[in-house]
Amino acid sequence: MGTFHDTADPLHGITVVAEAGNTVYVGRCHARENGTILLLDVDQHTDGDDGKTNQEYLERAARFGVWKKHEKLTLNADDVTGLSPLSNHFRRPGQKTAPAVETVTAAAPAPVVKELATLETGGVEAPVQLTEAAADEVRRLLVAESREGQGLRLAVSGGGCSGLVYKVEFDAQKEGDIVVACEGFDVLMDRKSTIYLRGVTLDHQQGLSGRGFQFNNPNASNTCGCGESFSV
Amino acid sequence: MPYPEQMVAPMRAELTSAGVQELRTTAEVESFFAQNTGTALVLVNSVCGCAAGSARPALKSAIGEDTSPDRVATVFAGQDLEATARARELFGYVPPSSPSMALIKDGELVHFVPRHMIEGRDALSIAQDLTAAFAEYC
Repeated sequence: MGTFHDTADPLHGITVVAEAGNTVYVGRCHARENGTILLLDVDQHTDGDDGKTNQEYLERAARFGVWKKHEKLTLNADDVTGLSPLSNHFRRPGQKTAPAVETVTAAAPAPVVKELATLETGGVEAPVQLTEAAADEVRRLLVAESREGQGLRLAVSGGGCSGLVYKVEFDAQKEGDIVVACEGFDVLMDRKSTIYLRGVTLDHQQGLSGRGFQFNNPNASNTCGCGESFSV
Repeated sequence: MPYPEQMVAPMRAELTSAGVQELRTTAEVESFFAQNTGTALVLVNSVCGCAAGSARPALKSAIGEDTSPDRVATVFAGQDLEATARARELFGYVPPSSPSMALIKDGELVHFVPRHMIEGRDALSIAQDLTAAFAEYC
């Protein structure tokens, strides 16, 4: 779960259902911090509104989405008794009963500190860092896709909701590339991209709830709801 | 404000190269919806990287299966504003979100994939949901 984003919170950018008393709030989770939950583009429903139970409201919301009543809404995490992705409430075609909904804690998760891979930069500061998890995945993919000998190209180009998007792909070294050696492969960057990649850490999340490769950028001033694009 | 056309052109081409009909004007949208027999899928495209970045390949994968809609089209939210607004009107009473996908059968919306069923998911999972919907309605 979670979007392609520079935050540890796996719910960032995900449309969630927050239950507080007999009212449910549906909005895109922006942050859980300092005992609050900040939601964007929010609708709310109290049991019985419009003649519908909360469950009936949520089943429709999960099928079609919601009409927002608030651009932003901050909830006190202590008041929230349940927090779950809206997609968990979706009843798939042919599914007769309401889906079992897995809730997550309303409190912000503890930040995860990941071990960084060792990079050989020839004595200069590395423009980027890779976590060991990312380096392991790159090595695995190089073999799985028969791309041994190629490098991992990291780049930034125009696009996305926030102006710039990250790119990650296997590629051959090109003239003018900045090259950083990692165990088993080289990291390749064109010079223009290093301006935006400086300070970025490439991570990889495994499993059903993981999003694959993630760029964690402490310099991004703004990121979009989907998180794959950013501005500085 | 729409993005420069050269920036979104690859996002359009990703779909049109797979045979998806792009509807850029209200007239094109109305013409597409005027045929109200059979099944049609309409993708509301978006510049949003990870959500639309999964939606487009998911759609391409799903329409390549044996059972798929008779017609497939796309409008581009945030770019072709009037065409998108008209398509959303014709979907019926559905909150706007992008990317999203509407499956229409005999002129009626029978299945909708809103943005929250796309965000944070990989293309394969989204394609599997689409394939299940195609199996039921197409």
